This record gives sequence, C-alpha cells and structure tokens, in this order.
Amino acid sequence: MTTTPTDFARTAAQLKARRRQRTRLHHLAAYSVLVLIALIMLYPFYWTLITSLEPTGNIYQAKLAPSGVSLRNYAAVLSGTTVPFWRMVLNSVVICTVGVLGSVTFAALAAYPLAKMRFAGRDLIFYAILALVVLPNESGLIVNYVTTIKLGLLEQRGPVWDMITQYAAIVLPSIASIVGLFLIRQAYLGVPLELIEAARIDGAKELTIWRRIMLPLSMPTIAAFAILEFVALWNSFLWARILPLDPQMLPLSAGLLELSGTFSTNSRATMAGAVLVIIPILIVFASLQRYFMRGIEGAVKG
Amino acid sequence: MSLTRPASPPRRSRQSRRTTFRTALLAYSFMAPFLALLLLYHTWPIIFGTYLAFTNYNIISPPQFVGLDNFRELIRDQQFWSGVVNSLKYILVVPVIQLLSIGVAMLVNQPLKGIGFFRTAFYVPVVTSFAVVGLIWTWMYQQSGPVNFVLMHLGLMNRDSSLLNNPGSALYAVMFVTLWKGVGYYMVLYLAGLQSIGRELEEAAVIDGATRWQVFVNITLPGLRPTILVCSLLSTISAVKVFEEIFVMTQGGPVGSTYTALFFTYAKAFQDFRYGYAAAAGIVVAVISLIFGIVNFRLTRGGRVDA
Repeated sequence: MTTTPTDFARTAAQLKARRRQRTRLHHLAAYSVLVLIALIMLYPFYWTLITSLEPTGNIYQAKLAPSGVSLRNYAAVLSGTTVPFWRMVLNSVVICTVGVLGSVTFAALAAYPLAKMRFAGRDLIFYAILALVVLPNESGLIVNYVTTIKLGLLEQRGPVWDMITQYAAIVLPSIASIVGLFLIRQAYLGVPLELIEAARIDGAKELTIWRRIMLPLSMPTIAAFAILEFVALWNSFLWARILPLDPQMLPLSAGLLELSGTFSTNSRATMAGAVLVIIPILIVFASLQRYFMRGIEGAVKG
Repeated sequence: MSLTRPASPPRRSRQSRRTTFRTALLAYSFMAPFLALLLLYHTWPIIFGTYLAFTNYNIISPPQFVGLDNFRELIRDQQFWSGVVNSLKYILVVPVIQLLSIGVAMLVNQPLKGIGFFRTAFYVPVVTSFAVVGLIWTWMYQQSGPVNFVLMHLGLMNRDSSLLNNPGSALYAVMFVTLWKGVGYYMVLYLAGLQSIGRELEEAAVIDGATRWQVFVNITLPGLRPTILVCSLLSTISAVKVFEEIFVMTQGGPVGSTYTALFFTYAKAFQDFRYGYAAAAGIVVAVISLIFGIVNFRLTRGGRVDA
C-alpha cells in the first residue's frame, strides 16, 4: 500500500484537529480550577459586602445575593456613636502619611553613603544592619512597649501635645525600615559613578547630588517601597491595640477590632466597617499593582 | 542578594586626611536619622530583651536580676509547652502552602486570556489586614455560616457547629486562614521564579518527547529550587511565630487549643505584666524557630551544596 500526498494531508489535518481539541480541553480544565480558586479567594469579601448591606435577616447564612439592601449599617458606623469613625480615618491618614514620608526619606538618605561613598566603618554598619534581619527579635514588642512608656510618649500634658506624642508612639517604631534601605541601596548601585563624579567636580554638594541625581534615577524603586510601606502601615493593628492609647487615637485597622467589641450585638455594622477599611487598600493596590509586585519581588531578593 | 558591594572609586592615594574625615562626617549625617531609630527600635530590643529574660520586671519597679529562674520556670510551665506544641503543629501549613503556591503559580503562568484578573484576585487577601481577614473568617466559620454550609453539602461535616468553637478543629480552622491569606504572596514569588527559568528548556524537553510530569520534575522543580528554599524558610519561621491570626480570631481558645508559643509571650507580658518571664519565653521561641529554620534549610536543599 502506498501513501499519497492527500493521505498525508488528511492525517495532518486530523492531528491538528486533535491537538486543537486537546488545547481546548486543557484550557477548560485550567479555567475551571482558576475560577474555583478565585471563588474561594473572593467570596468571603463578597459575602461580607452583601451581608453588610442587609438590614435584617439570617446574618451568617451562605448567600449569593443580599436579602434586602439598605445603608443602615453604614450609617451606624459613620455616625460615630460607638467609635469615632471619621477620627480614625484621620488617624490612619496621618499615621500613613508621616510613616511613608519618614521611612522613605530616612531610608533614601541612609542608603546613599552606603552605596556611593567611601568612609570608615561603612562595611561594619552595612553588615550590622544585615545582622539585625537575622537576629531573633521576639521580645521586640515587649521592649518597644517599655521604651515607648519610658520615653513618656503616653504621658498626658495637654490636648495638642498628647495628640502629637501618641501619633509618634504609634508610628516611630516602623520608620526605620531595613527592607527599604536595602531596596533603595540596590537601586542606587545602578546609578553610574561617572554621573556622581562629574557632579562632584562641578562642585555640587552631596545633598544636591542625592536630590537631583540619586532620587530621580531611583524613583521606580522608591515608589514601590512607598506603596509597600503604605499598605503595611494601613493594615497594622497589633501595636496600636497593645499600646494603652486614647480610643480617639486608634487607626482604622485597630479601630475595627474595637468596633467588633462594641458592636458585638450588631455584626453587620462591623462588616460595614470592614468594607470601609478594605476599600482604600483595594484602590491603591488595583491602580499601582505593577509597582507593588516589583516591590515584593525586590524585597525578597534584597 | 544585596551583598554586592558598591564599586569603589579607583584612586585613593591623594585623598588627604581632611577630606576623608569630611566624607565620613557627611556619610554619618546622611545615615544619622535612620540609624538613631534603628538603634532605638531594632537593636535595643535585642539587647534589653535578652537582659530582661534574666530578670523579674513589671515596668514600674526596676528589673531585678534572677539568673536562670525564668528559664527554670519555663521548663516546668505546661501552658508554655502546649503553646510550643501548637506552634509546631502550625508547621503543617508549610508544605501545603508551598505546594499550592507552586501549583497556582504554574496555573497563572500560562498565556491564557484574562490571566491578569486571576493573579490580582489571588493576591487580594495578601494586601488585606489581618484585622479584617480575621474578622471575616470568624463570621464565615459561624454556626450555619458559609463554611459549614459548604462542608455539610460536601458531606464532610454532619453536626452544624462552628469550627472555631471546637477544640479539635479550631487550630486547623485558623491554619486554613493563614493558608488562604498567604498563597497569593508565595504565588508571586514562584511566578518570578518560573519566569526566570525560560521556556526554551521546557520546549526542548517536550520536543525530545518528555511528558508533562517529566518536565515538571526534571526542569521546573530544579529551576525553582532557590525560590523554594527562600519561601519555605520564610513560611516555616512565620508558622512557628504565628500570632496575629490567633490574636484576632481565637485569643488562644477554646480551652487553649490555639494557644501558641508567641501568644504565651504576649499574654505573659501584656496580661500578666511579667515582662522578664515573657522575654525568656521569647528567647526560647527564637531558638526553636532557628532550629526549625535550619532543619527546613537542610530538607529543601536536599543535600545539595550548590542550591
């Protein structure tokens, strides 16, 4: 028996069709798994959202749509009768702004000599900081608590002064970020030395070089770190829950736990609060996602 | 790694002592604000925390040196050891979360339409605070809640009671939340690892007639080895030190079934005001997590020196 060219063409077509079918099956399987995981990841958020919108009904039931829609629970949270919600928004904004600006500025300043200057003790300092990452720090919370008390940051002296010192008590421990220092130093290392030397020869001050050359050329990394830091600060609650703060001074994430305590009879209001706490983070994350992922990868490599 | 040193300027000979001094002064003033806060909130806790472990301290009166008393007491403290046992049980999360993340990373590494949406969706729990996540899952686990609904319909549960209220299941219920929140994080790292392997090698193997499984075992896994090493180390250490989820969801209950080693440290310091005893427990937890970190490193390295 001889095979003619048409036979070849036929088997080729069959093969191609079979392969296409297999790809289609493969895609179907992949999408089913993807959708299933997405459901597990997102349904708890969706459930919280729709339950927070319901005025009454069987609260903890599994559901796909709210049994009714009202903004009553949101009104209950926002009116501030149990927790000062708007004040907590303000607290979170202040803490995040000061925290991000402080940690970015301090890390960006400190990374410059570590990357581009020669001075006595540079390697010593670099490795000492590196060692801090590895050394156990389980007592960190305890000692920082003692430090905060001993610095008198929680003593009462007057309304305005108290406000400033309590903000400082919350935000100061998270300002010196080792991850940020390493990330930014890594970006600085990529700046060509000739550029800096040329500026030095032209008589530029180091601070000018830092501001005019190092910062602009490292902007993507600095932005990535700033976003990571913002999310971390917005989400942190433990430290603020442990400090004996005036309830008026709590940031949102910590305030939410306070809310779940005071609103234990009305969990729907707490759900409304949870939705309100997540929204800003989701907006930041969705719009700046690319920087964000870059920061995560850099932080682990660093 | 960031260990790469900055390029040193080629000439050093003509630098006068004065400019050297000036440069050092400048360098240290650039670093001063950072170093001051670093010393106060990162270095000092290590020094003072270690000292506190050998004292009795309640913040009000000065620390009283007691030698090894705290450690002697710890050895006989049932509550502490049951906390350690719970923390060690938590290591169960590590292999599960790593395997799942690798699987998910391979899934979202495919050139499918709309894959960006899935990557983002899987990452949402990571950017959400544990304060929020803990509360949401406390509701999800309620009696007649969504979790029980699913489990009962799958025939995996026959009595409708909250998993968080049952001492037999509470720890595993919290572990699931850690898993749920962490998968997206490791997925991103594995995704970066996968993309550094490069398609050519896998395609060449496929052309040579390798099966999918052979490609995975012989090319993908070895290529991911450095990432697996880092990720499983990170997750082992954070498993032993699990705290935030416990703090929000169970506070160590019911009947101590989710009481972990670090929760013990927290409770001794901030509920019993025994800061010295808590610091001693912290040191023991640190040693334990170091040991398990090393064990993990040996295991994932698989006896290879070059990994």
